[in-house]
Amino acid sequence: MQEPCVVASWPSVPVEIVRTAGFRPVMIRGASDPTPAADVHLEPGIFPSRLRRLVEDALTGRLTHAARIVIPRTSDADYKCFLYLRELVRKGVTTALAPIVLFDLLQSRGPDVPAYDVARMHALLDELSSASGRMASDDDLRKEITRANTARAAARCLVALRRPVPRIPGSEVFPLLAAFWEMEPERYAEMAIDAATRIAARPPLPGPRVLLTGAPVDGHTLHETIESHGAVVVDEVGPWGSGAAGEDVRIDDDPVAALADKYRADSIGARTPVDALRRLTQSRLDEVDAVVVSLPPDDAVFGWDYPALRDGLNARGIPHLCLRCDPYERPTPADHAALDAMASAASRLQEARHG
Amino acid sequence: MADSQLEATAAASAFQKQWFADLRRRVFEERQPYALLQADVPFELFDLVDIPAVSNQWWAAIVAAKRQAPKFLDAMDADGLHGDLCRYCSLGYASTRYPDAGDSPWGGLPTPRLLCARLTCDCIHRVFSLWAATFGAELFEIDHPGAGDLPPRWWELGRHNWRELVEPHRLAFVVSTLERLVERLEAISGRALDRDALRERLELVNQQEEVFDAVRRLIAAAPECPVRMTEQITNVMATQWVRGSTWALAHARAFYDEVKRRVDDSVAACPGERARLMWIGAGLWHDTAFYTAFEASHRAVFVWSMYLAFGPDGYIRYGLDDPMAALASRTASFNEYLHNPPWAAEWIVHQAREHRIDGALVLRPHRMKASGTGRFFIERALEDADIPVLPIDADVVDARDWDADRARAVVRSFLDTRVL
Repeated sequence: MQEPCVVASWPSVPVEIVRTAGFRPVMIRGASDPTPAADVHLEPGIFPSRLRRLVEDALTGRLTHAARIVIPRTSDADYKCFLYLRELVRKGVTTALAPIVLFDLLQSRGPDVPAYDVARMHALLDELSSASGRMASDDDLRKEITRANTARAAARCLVALRRPVPRIPGSEVFPLLAAFWEMEPERYAEMAIDAATRIAARPPLPGPRVLLTGAPVDGHTLHETIESHGAVVVDEVGPWGSGAAGEDVRIDDDPVAALADKYRADSIGARTPVDALRRLTQSRLDEVDAVVVSLPPDDAVFGWDYPALRDGLNARGIPHLCLRCDPYERPTPADHAALDAMASAASRLQEARHG
Repeated sequence: MADSQLEATAAASAFQKQWFADLRRRVFEERQPYALLQADVPFELFDLVDIPAVSNQWWAAIVAAKRQAPKFLDAMDADGLHGDLCRYCSLGYASTRYPDAGDSPWGGLPTPRLLCARLTCDCIHRVFSLWAATFGAELFEIDHPGAGDLPPRWWELGRHNWRELVEPHRLAFVVSTLERLVERLEAISGRALDRDALRERLELVNQQEEVFDAVRRLIAAAPECPVRMTEQITNVMATQWVRGSTWALAHARAFYDEVKRRVDDSVAACPGERARLMWIGAGLWHDTAFYTAFEASHRAVFVWSMYLAFGPDGYIRYGLDDPMAALASRTASFNEYLHNPPWAAEWIVHQAREHRIDGALVLRPHRMKASGTGRFFIERALEDADIPVLPIDADVVDARDWDADRARAVVRSFLDTRVL
């Protein structure tokens, strides 16, 4: 029998809360498959692939096994998706669907936000606990935080093999890092440590090192595209690759507050404050030879950061490229030509830096 | 035929121009602070501590109407801001960031003391952060908690049962954010907010919106539409930014009186009216002539837009014991009322029936992601109510891709084949 699960649309839903309530977290991610049922309701150019996939799955009976569908408020597209799904249920367009829950995590800097987030975190825990019938204590929550922190530590071992000296292609390590969100923490830690041990024995990869930024990617297709030009993606700004683990969640008297603080600060997405994202990107630039900025057609946010990023990269002499394609669609020949040119320039920079 | 404008419309336009000139004088000559706000921020709080406020959307509409938008938007493109980013909320920013690209109307925006925005769409934080940095001014953000509970027929709850419209935790959050905003405004202005004055102001806002409600009923019930939609918008917009002020209430009443006279005298915007149309979405500010383009050929007149209709249903709050909570309840869910299921679709269908609408034109704004959501739900609900729908692909401030002749031809065909 399949373990009961909670489906989430973005990893700003705390897996520690989901597990404490007795569920397995399942994160919806994008794909290149068509989504005809979703396309009837979701306007084009607004919703990323993962949300089209979520609605497609909801309307075609593929989420009947979920105990709850949790949608975080960490992007406007997610929030609208929540409203749409609720309405589709109300209208009877779909009936075989688990209750849909809005997790109203805010990320702005107002002094009222932390307390609000703690309350929403409690509400989520209560909702999921009532679904499972498992009433969780603070100790239960601390135990799940400890388990997840163990997995985070293992994930950081993998991240250490990406920079400054890469020993594994981004397209290979990305799925290993992304698995953090869904695998049982002990199994994940074992897998990651084992993989890290084997990868550490590999020789360094020679290609220019690339940072992938812009709209966060939830798959590694773009990594494959970039690496087909001889570069190595050593980092990405987002919650799926190197950002999956992040720092540990603190363990103290108030585990709910600790989780609220962690997820508010570390959940990378459309509502992450711009200065936080800028600092994150800047901190990575010393260890890369080029930057690819992914700005797909549904981007409403990250494009605003581009001129400042471009100016900063130009000032530092770091080659960069802006890709406008959907990460799940084939890049155009022009994109490939531009990637080729960027990889060549990055190789020259790499040689100049390291000989 | 009502060829001439209402006197109220001319007065509204003159008031806005004079108001902006006074603002510039106060800022430049008297070093007075002013604020630059998103349209859904509670302007009342600013006015009550004597900080005049300019609406971002109003300014964008003025820039577009003066046909300056393409120049500023070209400058944005040239700076690497890609073409799928929202241009409506950022045109004002562009006019500040690239001042030499075009001619800002009426001398342009002076540097505000404060910018303030609700974080509805994801881009607002970005646009206002950039804008504040360009001005070197302070930014105050009002976060937008998501609504998890949206009871049906919101417009019936909003006036008397507004606490039922917004979940208690959301209401408390918005109240506490507005209280912090008041602290900032008091510090800037050196004036304390008088809570009794706030209650009185909200009572005046109620009165103003009641007058607009009466105008709306006149328009809905009259055999033929007495006042064009574009004039409705001019009169409503001018008053909304200073709502609850002596001038705004007096102007709303003057507007009502003129519309009432027209109804009494059987004056129609388009005599022999054959089709009553509604416009769903923000105004097409770069081509407002579009809205009167089908009167001569088809006797088709735009009767309804959200601008007049939303005031009475979205702003009136009775029971002002706690005026800040009442204000917060209005502020908390603007976006949901106007764009998203279930609220937007059911309200628009209700309005369409009240106004005997024969056809609806629904804006499909490519770049305004937040306004672009919920469209399919609205379009389907209207069609299910036997109201034909024509989607219009357009940007409300960017005329560069707008083919006016083609758009008019499409509407004429829609009228011929689906409406008349």
